[in-house]
Amino acid sequence: MLGETRVAAGGAVGERWARTDARAKVRGELLYAADQPLRPCLDVVVHRSTRPHALIGSVDTERAMAVDGVVAVVTGAQLYKLFGNALMTGPAFSDQPCLAVDRVRYIGEPVAAVLARGLAPARTAADEIEVDYTELEPVHDVDLAVAGGPYVHDVLRPSVVFGDLKHLRGKRDTNVNYEYTLRRGDVAEAAAAEGGRTVHEEFWCPPTHHVPIELPFTAAWRDGDRLEILSATQTPSYVRQSVADLLGIPLNAVRVRSAPLGGSFGAKMYDRLEPLAAVLAWTQRTAVRITASREEAFLLTTRHGAAVTGSMTADKDGRIVAATADVRYDTGAYADVGPRITAKSGMVATGPYRVENVDVRSRCVYTNKPSAGPFRGFGVPQVTWSHESLVDELARECGVDPAEFRRRNLLREGDVAPVGTPMHSADFAGCLDAVTEAVGWDTPLQREEGRLRRGRGVAVGVKAVLTPTIANAVLQLNQDASATLLISTVDMGQGSDTIMAQIAAEALCLGEGQVRVVAADTDVTPYDTITAGSRSTYHTGNAVRRAADAMRDKLLELAAERFGVAVTDVKLTGDGLVSAENQQKVSIPELLHGHFGARGTTLTTEANFTTSWVPYDHETGQSERVTEHWFAGAVAVQLTVDTATGRVHVEHLAVAGDVGRAINPKLVEQQLTGAAIMGVGHALFDQMVFDEGQIVNGTLLDYQLPSVLDVPDKITPIIVESPHRSGPYGAKGVGETTIIPLAPAIANAVRDAIGIRFPRLPLTPERILTALAEQEAGA
Amino acid sequence: MTTDVQMTVNGARHRVAVADDDLLLDVLRRLGITSVREGCGVGACGACTVLAEDHSVSSCLARAVRYDGVPLTTADGLAEDDDVVEEFVAAGAMQCGYCIPGFVLMGHELLAQNPAPTREEIAAHLEGNICRCGTYQEICSAIEATARRRQAENERRSA
Ligand code: FES
Ligand code: FES
Repeated sequence: MLGETRVAAGGAVGERWARTDARAKVRGELLYAADQPLRPCLDVVVHRSTRPHALIGSVDTERAMAVDGVVAVVTGAQLYKLFGNALMTGPAFSDQPCLAVDRVRYIGEPVAAVLARGLAPARTAADEIEVDYTELEPVHDVDLAVAGGPYVHDVLRPSVVFGDLKHLRGKRDTNVNYEYTLRRGDVAEAAAAEGGRTVHEEFWCPPTHHVPIELPFTAAWRDGDRLEILSATQTPSYVRQSVADLLGIPLNAVRVRSAPLGGSFGAKMYDRLEPLAAVLAWTQRTAVRITASREEAFLLTTRHGAAVTGSMTADKDGRIVAATADVRYDTGAYADVGPRITAKSGMVATGPYRVENVDVRSRCVYTNKPSAGPFRGFGVPQVTWSHESLVDELARECGVDPAEFRRRNLLREGDVAPVGTPMHSADFAGCLDAVTEAVGWDTPLQREEGRLRRGRGVAVGVKAVLTPTIANAVLQLNQDASATLLISTVDMGQGSDTIMAQIAAEALCLGEGQVRVVAADTDVTPYDTITAGSRSTYHTGNAVRRAADAMRDKLLELAAERFGVAVTDVKLTGDGLVSAENQQKVSIPELLHGHFGARGTTLTTEANFTTSWVPYDHETGQSERVTEHWFAGAVAVQLTVDTATGRVHVEHLAVAGDVGRAINPKLVEQQLTGAAIMGVGHALFDQMVFDEGQIVNGTLLDYQLPSVLDVPDKITPIIVESPHRSGPYGAKGVGETTIIPLAPAIANAVRDAIGIRFPRLPLTPERILTALAEQEAGA
Repeated sequence: MTTDVQMTVNGARHRVAVADDDLLLDVLRRLGITSVREGCGVGACGACTVLAEDHSVSSCLARAVRYDGVPLTTADGLAEDDDVVEEFVAAGAMQCGYCIPGFVLMGHELLAQNPAPTREEIAAHLEGNICRCGTYQEICSAIEATARRRQAENERRSA
């Protein structure tokens, strides 16, 4: 057997290859899901709840049915009769029906669906539906929901997928659907020690929206006993399982295809439009298409609003000795993946520091709002907002420079994190050094310039990659030396098609453009857990690398046979296969043609990559192996605050991420920069505003997103590489790394500029002006 | 009420029946022109941008009937060797790509009005287009590069 450790010499990894489909993207010729030609489909529009919490009496569909072009109107109660509890879907809890059955839990929840020939009659008819409600008392505030009733769900319904949620089954009279605790050492004792200093604060991150510019889209049609779905989804393998469970049919009776996504950031995953499209196509034996408008997209999922009560204690030598966090995630009406977010964020809620005494309680809480789900960072930006604000204040309390204070306390290679897992390939200090150097941290700063106040801030972030997960790859080497790669990873702008092509090309000495990635299609491409959580480069990348290595081994064997030499004597080079012993040479096309005796043939290999973990202890949250690897990032910023307008202007933003090894530095820089720009929005203005459960800014006229004018004067993306021992060529993912510490870095710089700590996001001009006025009044 | 209109898109003429309230965006997509896309439906993102006689229009707000006979350009209809497209590709000015055709057309409009825009002028012109992936720097660089390229070509021609 040929070992896995041999170094390939392909010259693909580390190169700035152009994105696959670059030209098609620029010319608009790439087809996203809604652009693809389809068989004739009925358009589906849903009628939505106008109440945050109510029992559904009758649903009057008569007037809707009378609208010209309407084919059917379907209610949740009708579907429940057919599917029973299988109608309730969700990745962690089976709590969400695609149409409300007997009760609505948020304003905007789908209650009935109209199928019509054309969008216009479908919309008209949806407006004609009348629902008779009996109002229930709603709960909007996360802390009121923790404290007691009203309860959004009568009983908790954890899904069968996760064994570790079993103990919650049937639990009543609570809005807390999951709780993670992390305990280590003795916080009270450490905090009471002589000469120590403690800071504490109540933090708040509002709900925000992903707003990928591509709108959600799903089409589904029934062919005999098969259901086919074309959907803008990050999770085709998940959707296949979820729909098969819902309809009670085998996995091979469901085909899910995805397409390149026009951005997603967590918005297009798990159960979005797919369950509704599936049940309508299945029960009506027809083809349907659901195109969400932007206003509807705001209702499909959000980023969790989160309250964090945190503290941090340093001893007299400036070592962080204790930290606490009480985190409440507002998950809205349905749990979605909130329980997972609660745990994954709870385990890093005290930050990337060596702390011996920690106490974290992280809870996932139902309220009467649209369901919150995964968003770039998976809940970690919300806890980072707390620990990076606290550590900054603590440094100031101790009279130490905030960057230096962090440097002294950061986890280093081999250190054990508070969660109990050792650190590897997570160079926080390297990231911190790089960003502070980039902004000239130690150089003098002109603090005042007319009405402007200038400041600098820094923050560091840590996140654990989703573990355990599964990735597979099938590689076909065509006789002409081009290759076709079958994976279920979805390219949504992160560039995974390009990255995977480079990983495959490296082992096979193929060039740019020679490896083509097939768009996810569950009939063809193998299982992959999800395209999310920055996991693809490492996990799918490892599967691809293994498949490519296996392919190389096959080629070496074929060539050795042909040359009549030992396998160890043959080398694969850019020019083909060469024997060191007798100097014979053969190109890949010649070799495969000779082997098969035909043109156009394919040689196939496949590989799996699965990670494992040690589940965390339910009392202490500790695990010696809670994750496969860590993300490490840092941000430093220099900005001005205009004391007359309250506006923040970012002069220089330096962002660094430890990516293990950059497979494609250009794409890594775009991820670092793109996440940073999104983070600037979160820091300064991005938020969903609710009034009694009603979104008040759910259109793009009202919801502010970073435009070209919000881009900092200068952005310096910095790639830090501390290779991971089992990453493909040392690589790890990068999509979330710089959004995690972005908002606190900006708030810390604002603190530096005007001396005010803001515990609530975002730092709008109004908030800043109010705080400045209070500061002046106090002074 | 439907009206028979002539949509002139990228030089090709199509006779289509449109209702009074049909949006230009929907009519173009019905014609198979999918480089024009909806992102917001309220004129706030630029994903649906088309050029009507060299002026940018948000097709999600425009009534199709008003464009009877007006020459329209969409990104997919630009010349094979279009310089703005080439500079976008060279600059890596795309991530998911969904917003990019709109920016390409905005670049064309700007450069037709102002052959040597400053970085600030470029930013001011692109303010209404949203790239959620955050590709703004590359987009601006690509437009700058096109301006330089046109200037160099002009100099070569006049030399
Ligand atoms: S869809 Fe027209 S501007 Fe957004
Ligand atoms: S490239 Fe994705 S929105 Fe611009």
